[in-house]
Amino acid sequence: MATIIIDGREIRCRDGINVLQAALEAGFDVPHYCYHPGLSVVASCRLCLMEMKMPDPRTNEPQWSPRLVPSCQTPVRDGLEVRFDSEKVRANQRSVMEYYLVNHPLDCPVCDKAGECYLQDYSYRFGQAASRVVDPKHKNPKKDIGPRTLLYQDRCVLCSRCVRFTQEVSGTSELCLVDRGHRAEIDVFPGRPLDNPLQGNVVDICPVGSLLDKSFLFKQRVWYLRTAASICRGCSTGCAIRVDHHEDRVYRLRPRWNPGVNDWWICDRGRFGWDFIRAPDRIVSPQICRGGEAGRVDWSSLPTMIRLRIEQVVRRHGPTSVAAILSPEMACEEAWLLGTFLRGLAPGAPLARGPVFVEGQEERFPVGCAPGQERFIIRPEPHPNRRGVEAVIEGLGGESADLEEILGRAAGGAIRALWVVGGYPRPDWPDQALLAAAEKLELLVVQDMLPGALTRRAHILLPFCAWLEREGTFMNHAGLLQPFEQAVQPPEEALPDGQYLWALAGHAGLYRAARVREMMAAGLPGFDRPHVPPEEPEHAH
Amino acid sequence: MSGFEPVLLRNVGVEGVRTLKVSESRGGWAAARKALTTMTPDEIVEEVRRSGLRGRGGAGFPTGVKWSFLPKDRKHTVLCVNFDESEPGTFNNRYLAEHDPHLVLEGILIAAYATRADLAYIYLRAEYHELFHILQRALDEAYAAGWFGADILGTGYRLECHIHRGAGAYVCGEETGLIESLEGKRGWPRIKPPYPAVRGAFGRPTVVNNVETLACLPAIIERGAEWFASIGTPGSTGPKLYTVSGPVNRPGCFEAPLGLTVRELIEGDDFAGGMAGGRKVKAVIPGGLSVGILTADELDCRLDFTDVLNYGLLGLGTAGAIVIGDDADMRKVLANTARFYAHESCGQCTHCREGTGWMARIAERIAAGAGRIADLDLIVELCGRMGMMSGMSICGLPDGAAYPIRLIVEKFRGELEEAIGRQPPGYTERYIRDRIPSVYALPVLQAGAAPARERAVPA
Ligand SMILES: Cc1cc2nc3c(=O)[nH]c(=O)nc-3n(C[C@H](O)[C@H](O)[C@H](O)COP(=O)(O)O)c2cc1C
Ligand code: SF4
Ligand code: SF4
Ligand code: FES
Repeated sequence: MATIIIDGREIRCRDGINVLQAALEAGFDVPHYCYHPGLSVVASCRLCLMEMKMPDPRTNEPQWSPRLVPSCQTPVRDGLEVRFDSEKVRANQRSVMEYYLVNHPLDCPVCDKAGECYLQDYSYRFGQAASRVVDPKHKNPKKDIGPRTLLYQDRCVLCSRCVRFTQEVSGTSELCLVDRGHRAEIDVFPGRPLDNPLQGNVVDICPVGSLLDKSFLFKQRVWYLRTAASICRGCSTGCAIRVDHHEDRVYRLRPRWNPGVNDWWICDRGRFGWDFIRAPDRIVSPQICRGGEAGRVDWSSLPTMIRLRIEQVVRRHGPTSVAAILSPEMACEEAWLLGTFLRGLAPGAPLARGPVFVEGQEERFPVGCAPGQERFIIRPEPHPNRRGVEAVIEGLGGESADLEEILGRAAGGAIRALWVVGGYPRPDWPDQALLAAAEKLELLVVQDMLPGALTRRAHILLPFCAWLEREGTFMNHAGLLQPFEQAVQPPEEALPDGQYLWALAGHAGLYRAARVREMMAAGLPGFDRPHVPPEEPEHAH
Repeated sequence: MSGFEPVLLRNVGVEGVRTLKVSESRGGWAAARKALTTMTPDEIVEEVRRSGLRGRGGAGFPTGVKWSFLPKDRKHTVLCVNFDESEPGTFNNRYLAEHDPHLVLEGILIAAYATRADLAYIYLRAEYHELFHILQRALDEAYAAGWFGADILGTGYRLECHIHRGAGAYVCGEETGLIESLEGKRGWPRIKPPYPAVRGAFGRPTVVNNVETLACLPAIIERGAEWFASIGTPGSTGPKLYTVSGPVNRPGCFEAPLGLTVRELIEGDDFAGGMAGGRKVKAVIPGGLSVGILTADELDCRLDFTDVLNYGLLGLGTAGAIVIGDDADMRKVLANTARFYAHESCGQCTHCREGTGWMARIAERIAAGAGRIADLDLIVELCGRMGMMSGMSICGLPDGAAYPIRLIVEKFRGELEEAIGRQPPGYTERYIRDRIPSVYALPVLQAGAAPARERAVPA
């Protein structure tokens, strides 16, 4: 711990960081473009300059040094005294902000970044209103630099963050700088577009509207967007994300700072792989099949109906004739509610974890890095919560079985009622073994998102809502339990899974994941204390 | 210049001196032999320190002191020979190496031995095609004769030397820009620390020295530090190459002790021989463009490391003088100067990138006859905001931009104002509006340095 003085205020700060980071963490709004805590320091934008006390060469007395120094390049050390609140520092900030507008097209009205742009914010806070430029602007071009990204070079502040990202984090080095001076441009090499599994991050770290996500282009003004804190479901890494939505429509997913898990980044699979939630044929209402005819039922009558049907099977075939297959797409709370509900009716009911798929291979970044040097890993397990579901099954005690065994028993007639949770947004779900086993059942309850061979066989069909429409917790590959918020309402008619399972379990009122976690904690210690990533310093970006 | 025997240019005009044989017959490589066989590296560093030799690349840093910054426990050291020579008006490195390539190579060997470098790169300016072949031939010959490679002179000392050709960027003459470029990267100067002496080329301790600096070494070794220090003025010791271009009778490269006055350089019979075609001197850019400018009244300025400061110049620079005759238009000099730095700023630092570009456009407009008095103030203001010395940039390029641009405006303000005053009324406003019609719709002309709206909008 070093103690430094910023603007006369004593700040205790972590060792080994630079003054800019210390100032941001202490809540100072120090403007900066080129500095990003996840990238190397280049100290080129010169926005973060500060005054610093240095020993006078003659008297050795600390004196304000006449030259400004980049705070991003100055490591903290005990006793260091700096100031940002000075006319000299402000004059520099004004002058840098003036420079950024010398060639900028000022096309905020048509810019996606407007509203969350640090050129706007800093111009407003640190710049000046009037321009003194009467000469024609140098106009840099707009370029299509990859399948997902556009580059509006005329808006670029040349902070080189994007270039450093592809060099230091993705390790793919597609981006480079060409030409010099104010003609300098970000570019790609001929025939080598920006196309790597982490590419979406360059749009996030671009402080201005220069790098644009094609899938978000002209879709929504950002000031309409509300944000929910969620966890990515793309793989078992468990990256923290922000879900930007407006009027129950999701517009984009972005990373949320989560040191040690995903830091500042997410991969494209997570960022862009959620369009299934907009599928037009999603299952939205509970349905009950009577005499071969599926019919919608009312949510309010559902609990009684389900309860009766299960009790009937238990009465006829005994308490071990009911089983459930819990999907790694479920939240821990949902798995727990369902498990406890079934065990309440059929105490011996075996619970199994549903199938776990494999997608590709583990991808480590920067590409080609030595083991242990990874800065980001995309895991081949394309589910968010295998470990969480397994932990819940174990925590509930009683009989746990593996999937094959349950299916075998169902095929053999020992299991007569099966509750299958799906929710896999993939075409290879469900498989033949499951479909074959389903044939023999007296009662098949299916929770799923999209219609298919399994849902057609279901006696009772329940909607499985997308994770952005639910709240709960996922446990990642390393056993880290992380909560996620509900961002949007499920499609009309549907209820979030947690809500109807809560009602099924006999509780009244609104489902609250945090409350369920408290209930779970008795058998599953620690579930009431999930990991919540720290807040990023307010003025960092 | 009576009594001064040329040291660096002593072989100019000698038939065949580009060959090792003739060079050796004229005493070439004797100093290297003396250094390697009779002196330790530290003794050479000490000798160079005592000679008072200061870098000829522009900054004038004492060479022996620079070498002593290398970490004591280093394993591999790299010597980068700065042959980028891109400073406008400067061609002394070229002149020297074209005429006496072996002197340069000998200097490299001595410096490498003194710094215990095992690898030397000559970073050669891209445009020096012919010179590349001259140097490469000399290097091949020196290699064949055992002056480079393993076990030089049987001392066990090994030095590999390569010529690396640049790609035409001024900023690659800046030492860390040079190192980046040498490593195959974009020539963006590095932030310091770490300094090259600690982590330079390929992560190794590195010394960057100018060609002329190194060419002084053989004479220092041969004749001793005291002899070297006796040449020149206090604090500015040794011989120096001066180049002169512009409307003079004898443009070229000349050798004299440090401390030659600009007047002698232009008018001296041994030097440029006076102005050509009956012109008078209007201005002189004395040390490469980046140091600034002198008026006709300031020709007594001595070209050494200290007197130049009395004239508001950035430093001695390269002593590459550009003479400007009385028929020149200072607006064009200003525009040409500003355009150079806008073209050469590497683009990393905001003040440098945008400031040079903006000033170039203002200066070009002034040169096109559409200037405003306020533009002159604006240029001076912008110059005050750039440079490494104020902390606004990573490298010294914008210091080198601000000095000449500001000094042209300050020292020739009368002429510039007069030229602006001769512009037809309303011309500037029309000129500006023709190019950006929107400019009058915004309150730009009311702000700061711009003239008031009433004056700006023609009726
Ligand atoms: C923009 C810029 C361009 C430079 N160009 C050159 C050059 O072309 N040749 C050179 O020797 N030094 C050049 N320098 C100076 C070098 O950075 C460095 O100071 C010099 O090579 C050191 O050598 P010396 O100590 O022998 O002078 C340049 C400096 C700057 C800031
Ligand atoms: S495109 Fe964006 S991130 Fe990249 S250099 Fe420009 S402003 Fe910075
Ligand atoms: S000062 Fe100018 S030339 Fe030097 S590194 Fe910065 S932008 Fe490049
Ligand atoms: S110079 Fe410090 S943030 Fe850019």
